[in-house]
Amino acid sequence: MSNKMSRRKFLKVVAGSGVLGFGVMASGCKGKPSGGDGWVSSQYEGKGDFPVNLKGRVAISATNPSIERDDEKCILCGQCVDACKNVMGVYGNYPLPLKQEIACVGCGQCVMQCPSGAITEKSHVRKVLDAIDDDTKHVVVQTAPATKVSLGEEFGMPQGTSVGKKMAGALKAAGFDSVFDTCFAADLTIMEEASEFVHRLTKKKDEIPHLTSCCPGWVKYCEYFYPELMHNLSTCKSPQNMMGATIKSFYAEKMGIDPSNIVNVSIMPCTAKKFEVAREELEVDGQQDMDYVLTTRELAVLLKHKGIDLNTVAEAEYDSVLGESTGAGRIFGATGGVTEAAVRTAYYLATGSNPPADLLDWKPIRGMQSVKEATASIPGVGAVNIAVCHGLENVRQLLDGIKAAGSSKWQFIEFMACPGGCIGGGGQPKSMDAVEAKKKRIEAIYKEDTGAEKRCSHDNAEIQSIYRDFFGKPLSEKAEKYLHTTFVNRHGRLFD
Amino acid sequence: MAVLVDITKCIGCEGCTVACKRYNNLNFKAKPRNVKEDGNVELDDNRWTVIQEFHGEKNDKLRFVKKQCLHCKEPACASACFSKAIQKDEKTGAVVYYPDLCVGCRYCLVACPYSIPKYQWNEQFPQVSKCQMCSERVSKGDAPACVSACTTGALTSGDRDELLKKAHEIIRSDSRYINQVYGEHEVGGAEWLYISDVPFEDLGFKEVTNVPVTSYTKSYLSKVPGLAACWALFLSGIAFYNYRVDKNRNQIQDPHDNDDQDKEG
Repeated sequence: MSNKMSRRKFLKVVAGSGVLGFGVMASGCKGKPSGGDGWVSSQYEGKGDFPVNLKGRVAISATNPSIERDDEKCILCGQCVDACKNVMGVYGNYPLPLKQEIACVGCGQCVMQCPSGAITEKSHVRKVLDAIDDDTKHVVVQTAPATKVSLGEEFGMPQGTSVGKKMAGALKAAGFDSVFDTCFAADLTIMEEASEFVHRLTKKKDEIPHLTSCCPGWVKYCEYFYPELMHNLSTCKSPQNMMGATIKSFYAEKMGIDPSNIVNVSIMPCTAKKFEVAREELEVDGQQDMDYVLTTRELAVLLKHKGIDLNTVAEAEYDSVLGESTGAGRIFGATGGVTEAAVRTAYYLATGSNPPADLLDWKPIRGMQSVKEATASIPGVGAVNIAVCHGLENVRQLLDGIKAAGSSKWQFIEFMACPGGCIGGGGQPKSMDAVEAKKKRIEAIYKEDTGAEKRCSHDNAEIQSIYRDFFGKPLSEKAEKYLHTTFVNRHGRLFD
Repeated sequence: MAVLVDITKCIGCEGCTVACKRYNNLNFKAKPRNVKEDGNVELDDNRWTVIQEFHGEKNDKLRFVKKQCLHCKEPACASACFSKAIQKDEKTGAVVYYPDLCVGCRYCLVACPYSIPKYQWNEQFPQVSKCQMCSERVSKGDAPACVSACTTGALTSGDRDELLKKAHEIIRSDSRYINQVYGEHEVGGAEWLYISDVPFEDLGFKEVTNVPVTSYTKSYLSKVPGLAACWALFLSGIAFYNYRVDKNRNQIQDPHDNDDQDKEG
C-alpha cells in the first residue's frame, strides 16, 4: 500500500477533524479563557475592592517636566499616594472633577518612596554629556549646598560626609568649564531677601508675613492652593536662578562670552527645579537663566559614566568670582537655614553690626520638628516673630490655621516643601534609613557653617564685589531685573 | 457583574491599565499599534484597556476616559463567531474569549460596534485579544483587577441593576452630570456603564443605536441550525436512496449474465 495521501484520504481527515471540532464545541467544551495568567500585588488579591490604606498610584502627566514613570516597574504598591497625600498634601486636596491639569508640585517625594524605582526624575544626563562634548559651548555648573552632604552616599561613603571639594574636583574632571557654588548665590539671595524683608517690615506692612520663595515646590504649591498669599512671597528668585542670571550677564560680560553659548547646569537635591527652570517669568530678555538641572542621583550616574570615583578623585576649589561662600549660604540646605541666614543679615542691615552669638547658633529653628517658632529681637526693628515649616502637609495645616485666625502672629515664615528641607529633597540619594540620613546631613551642614571663616552673607567678599561692579546695591533696578521675579496664579487650574 | 465608571472622578493615573497588564500578563514593552490623531493610544493586543485624555477643542476641562470591552448584554462579536470562541457568561455577564475554539476568522473584529477586539498580528499562532472582565476573578465574586486598583472611586463594580440605580441617583443629585448613562441602552445595553459631566460625544464615545446589533440577523440566523439539519437530512436521504438503488440493481442482475456479456464482449 502506498504511503501517499490520496485525495479521498485527505478529504476524510479534513471532514473528520471538522466533525470532531464541531462535536467538541457542541458538547460545551471550551478550554481556558485567555488572560488571567499574570499576578497583581497582594492588596488587590482576593476581594480586591476592599478598602485598604495603601492603594493605586499618583497621576503623572506625560508632560511633567520633573518626574516620569516606567509602567513596567510599577507594582501599584500605593507608596507614591502616601507621599503625595500624607507628606506633601497635594493628592486628594483638590476637588474632582479635574479642571485644567493634573496637580503636581514636582517635589519628587514619590520618587523617594517608590520601592521599585518606577518613578524617577526626568533625566538630563544625556543632554549634559552632549553639551560637555560640544566645543562651541561653555558649560558652567553650580552645586547646591544640600548635594555636598549627600553625594558621597552614592559612592559608598557614610551618611553625612561632606564632599564639596571632591565634588568640585570631580566636576572639573568630568569636563565642565567652570564650577561655581550655589552657596554663593544663596548669599546673594540673602542680601536681596533680607533687604526686602527689612523694607517690608518698615514700609510695606501689607506684605507681612514675609514668605520665603527659594523652594520651587512650595512656590508652586502656593500658586495652586494659596494664591491670596502670593503677594507675601519674597520676589527673590531662588539661589539657583540668581546664579544662572548672574552667569549669563555679569560672568558672560566679564569673560567676553556670548550668553547664548553658555550652558548653565545645576546640581540640585530637587526635582521641582526642573520645572522651575522652564518658568517664563524667570526669563531675562527672553533668555532662560538655567538650561539643565541634574539631581544628586543623576550627577552620580554622570560621574560613573565618566569613570570618576568620588572616593579617589582629587579635591579642588570652586572657581572664583562666583565661588566664595559663607556659613550662611551653606545652611540653605537644611530646614530653618534660610531663616537663620536671613536674620543674620537683616540684623546687620538694621543695626550695622553683626548679630550676637545666639543668632549665629539659633537652636530653636533647627532640627526636624515640623513647625518651629522663634523670636529675634533686632535693635531698631523690635521683636520679629518667625516660623519655620517643612513638609507641604504641615505647610497646609499652618496656613489653614492662619486663614482661620485671620492674621499671622509671625512676620517671617520659611517654607520648604520636602521634609527636612533640601537635604530631604526628591533628587537626593535613596537611603537605608531616611530619617537617620536626614539627621546626619543636617549635622554635616551645620558643621560646615560653624567651620566657616565668615558666617554672614554680607561678609562675602565676592558678594561685595559683585554689588560694587554690577548690581549696585540690593533691590536696585539691575538687581530687580536679574534677581527678582513674579508668580503665576494657578488656582484656576485646580479649582472652580 | 457590572462596572460603573464615573468619568468625573478619574485623575488619569492609569493604575487600571497597569493592573490589567500585570494580571493578564500582557507585554509592557510592546509599542502602541494605533495612535489616534489627537495623540491618544487605542486598544491593541497588549492593551486591553487604555486611558484616553480629552482636553481642549470642545471642552476646556481635562477628562480621562477608560476604554475597554463594554461587555454587551447581546454581544455582536459572540453572535458573529461561528465556532463559539466568544461566549457570554450568563452568570457573570462577561463576554469571554476561548482561544482553544477560535479558528482565527476575525469576524468578531468586524462585528463589534465599538471596534474592541484586536488581533495578535505578530504571533505565529495568533489569538483575538480583548478585555475578559477578569473572568476568573469575577466568577469568584471578586472585582476585576482594574476596579480593585482604582484609588479615586472612579470605578465601582457590583450588580448591574443596583449600579444603574446608583448612576441615576448621582445624575439626579448633581446637576453637572449629563442625563445619560452610557451603556444602559447602547446596542441593547452593556455591563460597563459610564456617567460624565461632559457630553459623551466629546469624549470619543461612539454614538450607536439602541437596538441590539444581533437583532438584525436574529430572525434568519436563528433558522440556520434547523435549516442546516434539514439540508443534511435531505442530502442523507438522497445518498441513502442512491445507495439502495445501486444495491438493488446489483442484486437483480444475474451474475451469469455478466459472465456471458463478458464472453460476448
